[in-house]
Amino acid sequence: MKVTIKNWVGVATWKWVANDDNCGICRMPFDGCCPDCKLPGDDCPLVWGQCSHCFHMHCIVKWLQSQQVNQQCPMCRQEWKFNNK
Amino acid sequence: MSLKPRKVDFNATWSSLQDTVRGVITLDHVPRTVWNDRFSDVYSLCVAHPEPLADRLYAETKQYLIDHVAKLLNKIQEGGESQLIRNYFYYWSQYSEGAGYLHKLYFYLNQQHIKTQKGSDAEILYGGSDISGAGEQMEIGELALEVWRADMIAPLGHRLVKLLLEVINQDRAQQPLTVPIEAVRGTILSFVEVQSCKKKGQLQLYQDLFEEPFLDASGEHFKRDAARLLQEKDVSLYMEKVMAKIDEELLRARKFLHFSSLPKVSQRCESHMVAEHLYFLYSECMNMVQGERKKDLSNMYSLLKSVPNAISVLVDTVLEHIKAQGLTAVSNLQGESMHIHFVENLLKVYKKYKQLIQEVFNADQNFVGALDKACSSVINHKSNGGRGPCRSPELLAKYCDTLLKKSSKGISESEVDEKLSQSIIIFKYIDDKDVFQKFYSRMLAKRLIHQQTQSMDAEEAMINRLKQACGYEFTNKLHRMFTDMSVSADLNNKFGEFLKKENIDLGITFNIHVLQAGAWPLGQTVVTPFALPQQLEKSVQMFEKFYHTSFNGRKLTWLHHLCQAELRLEYLKKPYLVTMQTFQMAILLLFENTDVLTCGEIRDTLQLSNEQFQRHASSLIDCKFLLSESEDLKSESSLRLNLEYSNKRTRFRITAAVQKETPQEVEHTMNSVEEDRKLYLQAAIVRIMKSRKVLKHNQLIQEVCAQSKVSFAPSIPMIKKCIEALIDKQYIERTPHSSEEYSYVA
Ligand SMILES: [Zn+2]
Ligand SMILES: [Zn+2]
Ligand SMILES: [Zn+2]
Repeated sequence: MKVTIKNWVGVATWKWVANDDNCGICRMPFDGCCPDCKLPGDDCPLVWGQCSHCFHMHCIVKWLQSQQVNQQCPMCRQEWKFNNK
Repeated sequence: MSLKPRKVDFNATWSSLQDTVRGVITLDHVPRTVWNDRFSDVYSLCVAHPEPLADRLYAETKQYLIDHVAKLLNKIQEGGESQLIRNYFYYWSQYSEGAGYLHKLYFYLNQQHIKTQKGSDAEILYGGSDISGAGEQMEIGELALEVWRADMIAPLGHRLVKLLLEVINQDRAQQPLTVPIEAVRGTILSFVEVQSCKKKGQLQLYQDLFEEPFLDASGEHFKRDAARLLQEKDVSLYMEKVMAKIDEELLRARKFLHFSSLPKVSQRCESHMVAEHLYFLYSECMNMVQGERKKDLSNMYSLLKSVPNAISVLVDTVLEHIKAQGLTAVSNLQGESMHIHFVENLLKVYKKYKQLIQEVFNADQNFVGALDKACSSVINHKSNGGRGPCRSPELLAKYCDTLLKKSSKGISESEVDEKLSQSIIIFKYIDDKDVFQKFYSRMLAKRLIHQQTQSMDAEEAMINRLKQACGYEFTNKLHRMFTDMSVSADLNNKFGEFLKKENIDLGITFNIHVLQAGAWPLGQTVVTPFALPQQLEKSVQMFEKFYHTSFNGRKLTWLHHLCQAELRLEYLKKPYLVTMQTFQMAILLLFENTDVLTCGEIRDTLQLSNEQFQRHASSLIDCKFLLSESEDLKSESSLRLNLEYSNKRTRFRITAAVQKETPQEVEHTMNSVEEDRKLYLQAAIVRIMKSRKVLKHNQLIQEVCAQSKVSFAPSIPMIKKCIEALIDKQYIERTPHSSEEYSYVA
């Protein structure tokens, strides 16, 4: 071998993969965070429902708490179930 | 003696009392027993039965004092004008002291009769009653002084004042005084002391009788003196003499006058010697400032500051001078270390004039303000008569970068820290702080990604300084970059555990930075086509597998142009360990089975864009790893592996050239600032309109400017464009009444 790699420092960026650009509850972009948070990223994560809709975790939790009877997705009105893939 | 009221023979009692009064007022010897007897005589007259004789006692005493002062008036004049002050002072001293004793002798009359009759002090002060008016009775001490004022000072005052002014003129001319200082001062102060029992306007007599004529006469003297000094036509000399003159006059005033006259004396002097000759003083202003003649400037300052508004000419001249010095210090800077000279030259100018202002102008706010204005105008100066860009934000960011980078050799950590904290001085003057932030964050990103950071502590300290100067919002993204670095370190550990558990060997040491896309200013060059060398494929695949099982709903994008590798070169006389960028590495790896390749072959195999290929191939040629026969790298040009390569060092990096900021990146940074500003302004307009509902155009512009001031000074046309854009997007609309008014659309 003429040349061998001893070590390599890789650089990558990560982004949420969502069907939409914005959260259907707070309307803020998924690149940013929910209105209650200051920093986007790990501290303000996204979650997906089995209906495939996606929200800021803080937003959907708040929404579900405000629904007395049925736990429905605010977009499609199907029963909300967290999709843990 | 009995305290019981009884019948008293007024004439007999007054006759003996009068004799004692004479003794007291002339400071003659009065035996204690006599004093005690007369003290009770005053009491018995005041409480006499059947009728109190207090009023009669008062009238007789007053008459006695009038007669006594009339006699003294004659005596004082006996020696003629030459003895007048001396005599006046002699008898005044005696009389005023005597009046004090007399006041005590008449204790009962003062306490019981006069006070009860006069009523409260408040009535005297606010009732407006004139206590010296006819019929009103005064306490005896005051009565004595009032008689002196009316029967001595009134007839004699003007003659005395004329003589007093003559003596003061002798003093000014440094001639021997014909009257002792003590007598002159005592006479002048008698005009105040004679009023000392008055509740208000104690200085009135002194001011009307003496001070005003004195100030007028002095004014004439100052005018003549100024005219004489002006003949020398020398501003420095003139200022020195005027300052000396003011000191001398204040000293004289302290010697002769009541202290309340001191500010008036200097004010007169300043008005005739400074205020009336401002243009003469100004004529030398420019030369003094340009020559930085500290003594002259300090004199000029102390003279001008006494005259309202006169200082502004000096302030403006200083401002222009500092500005010119600042612009000279940063003009014609060129070359690799331009940013260092730029910042350090500016700081030199700043410190020099800060020191000068401290020393010469007593840190006067006017001059501190001028320094601020001058610095701000130098630092925000735009080339080409205002049309060119202002490079300060970029140069300052670069200065910080140089200090925070590993390469800053030969300078200690504390020096770096000191220099960084000094750079905040310049930072505070920058208008376009957002431009600085853009450059700073790009450079920080590169330092972190390329492991060029000298010390994390120094990095954090600098960010905290910026936060202190500009607030949390300003450094928010910088903090997020730091967070990503520690999150990545954690991730690398977990990935290591994952590999161990799965029993996987990557064949290389692998490390990764996983960054939040929004937080890092990595520009639009993010997606670069690249065919990953097969040696790295396993690492990339394994990491992606690990990442996607650890995190839901996240997409990773590899930034190969930012990755770097350490390679072991084994085809040369001795082995070398070289750190290089991934693209450089990929090119070298292609030479495994051959020593010659064409540029076209390399580019196609790696699928690199022409720009990336050119950049990395030429850097390898520059480092002598590859040899090329032609200057330009065309598709058919061939590159040959340099088998004769040698270097004294066996472990080094060749990344510097490709990591350098390109002119395109600078331009890109400037453009992204423009975009960010538009977003910022639109958000600000929406925020303001949401809270105010309806607003006039000009008010809206004003509020937007006020809000954005912290990070940049927006242009009015840009704000107008943003308003139009928001009207189009129906966030706001024009009100029906006026096109100059907007309302918020809920
Ligand atoms: Zn949300
Ligand atoms: Zn949140
Ligand atoms: Zn749904």
